[in-house]
Amino acid sequence: MKTHKLFENDTHTWFMFGRDPHKPDKIIDTNQYMVVTNENALLMDPGGIELFSSMLTTIIKSVPIEKITHVFASHQDPDIISSLGLWDQVLENSTLHSPWLWEGFIRHFGMQSITYSPIPDEGERLTLDGVHLDFIPAHYLHSSGNFNVFDPTSGILMSGDIGAALESDEAPLEVDDFEAHIPKMKLFHQRWMPSNEAKLDWVRRVRELDVQMMCPQHGRIFKGENVAKFLDWFENLEVGVLNKK
Amino acid sequence: MENTFVVTAVIVSNIYATMRICRRLTLTASNAKALAMQAGDSAAGFRPLTDYINRYASITTSSSAQINEMACELSRIATEKDKTDRVLNHLSKVYKNAYDSPHLSSMDVARNKIRLRQQALHDAYTQLLQSLNSELDDMSGELRSANIVVTMSRIEALQATSIHQNALNNVADNVENVTESIKELISDAQRLVIELKKQSQ
Ligand SMILES: [Fe+2]
Ligand SMILES: [Fe+2]
Repeated sequence: MKTHKLFENDTHTWFMFGRDPHKPDKIIDTNQYMVVTNENALLMDPGGIELFSSMLTTIIKSVPIEKITHVFASHQDPDIISSLGLWDQVLENSTLHSPWLWEGFIRHFGMQSITYSPIPDEGERLTLDGVHLDFIPAHYLHSSGNFNVFDPTSGILMSGDIGAALESDEAPLEVDDFEAHIPKMKLFHQRWMPSNEAKLDWVRRVRELDVQMMCPQHGRIFKGENVAKFLDWFENLEVGVLNKK
Repeated sequence: MENTFVVTAVIVSNIYATMRICRRLTLTASNAKALAMQAGDSAAGFRPLTDYINRYASITTSSSAQINEMACELSRIATEKDKTDRVLNHLSKVYKNAYDSPHLSSMDVARNKIRLRQQALHDAYTQLLQSLNSELDDMSGELRSANIVVTMSRIEALQATSIHQNALNNVADNVENVTESIKELISDAQRLVIELKKQSQ
């Protein structure tokens, strides 16, 4: 699995992990993210069981394990958090931030030592060593209880399944040609996202943020003007449709 | 060799079936008691036997309930241990692949903790398997003694008046059939427990 540093200043660093060449076939390629502050680290959407040893191997190249004091799961999907039962055994004194809606479901992945911190529907702010990270509501995009993570300092928006693209695990990290990228995203958003109303509300709220980089859980990162292009494209896309070209 | 979970599940289901059959035995015991009262003097020797059948029914019932609990607990411990086995397998990959990582030693605390837990679960599993084994042995000892009751009931039936003869034979048949069914289930469970013991060594 490869590590990419997305942002670094004197208070915190953003990492992206992904494009794993050892990933078993037939499982969807995923991007995992981590924010490291002075004393702590927040691991976001750590992925499925199949990825666990690869993820752990990669992470401890950057930080000691005890630094991972916080974990975030945007929603309940297996590609997001089915590794929980394994993390639960290796993390000490760690907290999982996840939608309140999914607590009873996510616990099925196995959770005895990690503490579940339910995120209320309206979202909340996590502050790690003075670094603010906002859990922003993204309900019904696609999961009915779902959050993004926004870092106001770096302008990074970890957008979960929003902005996801289905493509090979050798794909470049960033979107270079937005128009060419559309076919890789269209089906995913139309089929997995159920609500146009939720979509429009999210687009309106995200436009108010100063997003420099939008980082989805599958596919490529959107930077600069591609963020605005994505918001325009998504705003006009009809979602919740089946078999529509 | 079959998977541990499948084997423990089969043991649990055998014991569950045993518990259900034991209920039939309880019913037979109370029927026998009623019969002994009706038969009066012509079945005087049968009366102490009904007490014996009653005791037999309650022993097998409580013993199978206890075995059932042990088998369920065994399955739970096996699941917990499997979790530690899995995570340790993952960790051995991490130790191999992150050998050059400056933070690899930060994993030592977690790995040691999981190893200790794995060992504790292994010990608990072995111990419980041993107790389950001896509980099953006790139960099959109890089942062997049922043969005496059956034989004595048949002897009593010969001495009773003809109207009660059939009924007394019927009680003997019931005890015999139930015991045979339980015997089969228990010896199956014993065989599986031995298999698990071999696996865990
Ligand atoms: Fe998802
Ligand atoms: Fe996903």
